[in-house]
Amino acid sequence: MLGDGKMYDVIIIGTGISGATISRELARYNLKVLILEKEFDVATETTMANSAIVHSGHDPLPGTLKAKFNVLGNRMYKRMSDELDIPYLPCGGMVVATSKEEEIVLDELLQRALTNGLTKDEAYLISREEISKKEPNISEFVTKALYLPTTAVTFPWEVAIANIENAMDNGAELKLETEVTDINKDEYFSVSTNQGTFESKVVINATGIHGEKVSKLFYKPEYKITPRRGEYFVLDKNCFEINNVIYPCPSDKGKGVVITPQYHGNILIGPTSEFVATNQVGKTTISGLDYVKKYAIKSVKNIPFHKVIRSFAGGRASSNTHDFVIQDVNKTGFINVTGIESPGLSAAPAIAKYVVEQLVSNHLGLINKPSYKSSRRKVIRTNEMTNDEINELVKENPLYGKLICRCERITEGEVIDSIHRNCGARSVTGVKNRTRAGAGRCQGGFCQPEIIRILARELKIDQMKVNYSKTGSYILKSRTKGE
Amino acid sequence: MREYDVIIIGGGSAGLSAAIEIYKEGFTNILLIERDIELGGILLQCIHNGFGLKVFKEELTGPEYAEKFVDELMDLGIEYKLDSVVTKINSDNSIEYVNTKDGFANVKAKALVLTMGCYERNAGAISIPGTRPAGVLTAGQAQKYLNIDGYLVGKKVFILGSGDIGLIMARRMTLEGAEVLGVAEILPYSGGLNRNIVQCLKDFDIPLYLNHTVTDIIGDVNLEKIILSKVENFKPIPGTEVEFEVDTLLLSIGLIPENEISENAGIILDRKTKGPIVDESYQTTKAGVFACGNALHVHDLVDFVTEESRRAGRSVGRYLKNELKSSNDNIQLLPSDGISYIVPQNINLNNIENKLELFMRVTAEYKNVTLVVYSEETEIKRIKKRHMAPAEMEKVILTKDDLSKVNKTLSIKVVA
Repeated sequence: MLGDGKMYDVIIIGTGISGATISRELARYNLKVLILEKEFDVATETTMANSAIVHSGHDPLPGTLKAKFNVLGNRMYKRMSDELDIPYLPCGGMVVATSKEEEIVLDELLQRALTNGLTKDEAYLISREEISKKEPNISEFVTKALYLPTTAVTFPWEVAIANIENAMDNGAELKLETEVTDINKDEYFSVSTNQGTFESKVVINATGIHGEKVSKLFYKPEYKITPRRGEYFVLDKNCFEINNVIYPCPSDKGKGVVITPQYHGNILIGPTSEFVATNQVGKTTISGLDYVKKYAIKSVKNIPFHKVIRSFAGGRASSNTHDFVIQDVNKTGFINVTGIESPGLSAAPAIAKYVVEQLVSNHLGLINKPSYKSSRRKVIRTNEMTNDEINELVKENPLYGKLICRCERITEGEVIDSIHRNCGARSVTGVKNRTRAGAGRCQGGFCQPEIIRILARELKIDQMKVNYSKTGSYILKSRTKGE
Repeated sequence: MREYDVIIIGGGSAGLSAAIEIYKEGFTNILLIERDIELGGILLQCIHNGFGLKVFKEELTGPEYAEKFVDELMDLGIEYKLDSVVTKINSDNSIEYVNTKDGFANVKAKALVLTMGCYERNAGAISIPGTRPAGVLTAGQAQKYLNIDGYLVGKKVFILGSGDIGLIMARRMTLEGAEVLGVAEILPYSGGLNRNIVQCLKDFDIPLYLNHTVTDIIGDVNLEKIILSKVENFKPIPGTEVEFEVDTLLLSIGLIPENEISENAGIILDRKTKGPIVDESYQTTKAGVFACGNALHVHDLVDFVTEESRRAGRSVGRYLKNELKSSNDNIQLLPSDGISYIVPQNINLNNIENKLELFMRVTAEYKNVTLVVYSEETEIKRIKKRHMAPAEMEKVILTKDDLSKVNKTLSIKVVA
């Protein structure tokens, strides 16, 4: 069965940060692009649960793809964020040492950073005194730090959503709840899914922790992906002062428990690092969260753990090659973009550019699309506007004066807009991820019924058919009156 | 900018009672602001009875209780705005609100009353272990879906936390045909009123698991199972895990006074109550701003909210008549052994007309003990108590005579 009878130039499988940035990069050109996602919404796995950091590029081993694309990606982030109206916090970062041994590691890291291409202004050592000036809550154990001013914080799922929205504005198609079941190549690729078969000249496998599994649908891959779980705490906004991303000294377990200021004022603390089965990546544990607490207080003191508003877990796609797996398999046009664990978020825009310009270009001519628009329509965020500005809006659309989420100050106008954009919200979590309604301290306690009502009305479905997050995750199970 | 004598923020039981009382004190130029589309607050979704026994000497449902006040407010012609959210208290006690008609607007008042109520602690706050499927809600959310919107959130239910809303919902969902498999409480005693344990659990054979908590949430799309474990000192005991197949986990793990706007205005909160620190007149640390009801501290019974809000309303009247005296050395109330908090937190003796009512909670369950009220070295009063529990608010009344013995501080402790 043919899905829609159309021949695509490129089918992208997966809508995380990698698939999303590649879709936008492809949409610059006269190419027919189809994006497939098995879930009810885009970017629901690794992109949804990570540290949100745009790393400087100090950490990956020199010569790796991780090092190359991290440094390049970091330098592309600000522009991409401006073009796509994505929150971006250029906060800076520091790796802190708590012993003489760790101070030696800092020296090594500095050399590594410079080898990776950072300049002396982008990576340098600072004293305890300078650290204290920048971070009043730094722990007394910290003796020295490697300061990394180009470290920034983004809003990961909005990066994915905005890239796909912009790709769609430029003609790309998105099919959700479409799970790939087989991939074959004759003259062209035929990609079988639960929604029919789609044909294309190039296939991009950007399926995160499922990368190896999807590769296996086409060939016997030489790499292995093992999901590595990370658990995190989120602190309430504006309850604690952290100005920079604070990394402990790295170990063989990764970058360790990092304390990260978030764009909206929250603080993120985590992750753990633990290899688990694929179906366990989204699970928080008592032991994991205890580990986060135990190690966080080595770098930072007085953390108000009573201000935790949420904990979550996510899986990174860890490859046995210890590097990103970015390859055009036997020059077939089946392109793997897998093993994209940290610093994948930082590297994404650079990876996308490379994949399109260096790999896809071997199979398809890249002709600029004259109608291409690099920006998406500005997102109205009333909590970043002055009252006078909002009042102008309210005159045109009174629903910008209807506050739905009090914790994050999100209006009904914003919720409706998030539903009707390309790649719009379809679930309660979808609205939360796009607007932050329900992301505050009451965690949707008050606004969830309102969000359900708005989704049902705008999508013209029954309230009982409104999903919490995944397909079939209905909140309202049966009627008790008015039948 | 329109100027009122008083603006009351929140039109639930506290705001309604305070507004009516202030009006009766002779101040008719008042405004009540409510965020919902009707007045009444959380009472509107509490369709069970048991309200009003103290205030009206009859048993009412939540909506009936609210209606009595709403009717009176309407009869008096007190001005109110619905569907309007107060977003800010300014330094001059003017406030900013937003709605669809006025957008963001400011109004001014000589006095403000904070009656925003409270919100529910949720799964996020307690870092509940496991996945994040649909089917994990707060008890109050489920109550709203059921009683206001007409939807049931599940058929096989477990409840974590023995707060009153959870207990009420155990009964309510059972009556709607759902099966409630149990209620777990991490503490050795219930967080809810004894009458609710009896009427909502025992009468329906719903087990209450004291010293237990939920240690795993299992389910990818929808909740499938929870794991219940016995705890010791808040730590789960390995080997005690029991599995329950459920589609719904309701949380009734505490209420938190809603005070974001108060905090942003620099009003100092009590770390224990999470409500503003107030004096004997319910005045907060910001002059002219008063607080009462669940925004001040969480109450067990709405009748107590009404009584407190009436007292606060009378104080607002005295404030507007310039009858309240200010002082820099108020007597500090210090909760001592066995007492977790006392409201008010400080008192100015000059403002006490004939008696002082103190409200407090104990830190654990006590049987046959004595509450001792003392000031520095001087004992002022002893009250014998047969039973006290954290879920039940305690009241101590001090006469002018008692208060004449008070020095700089006033303490209360539990003595065996």
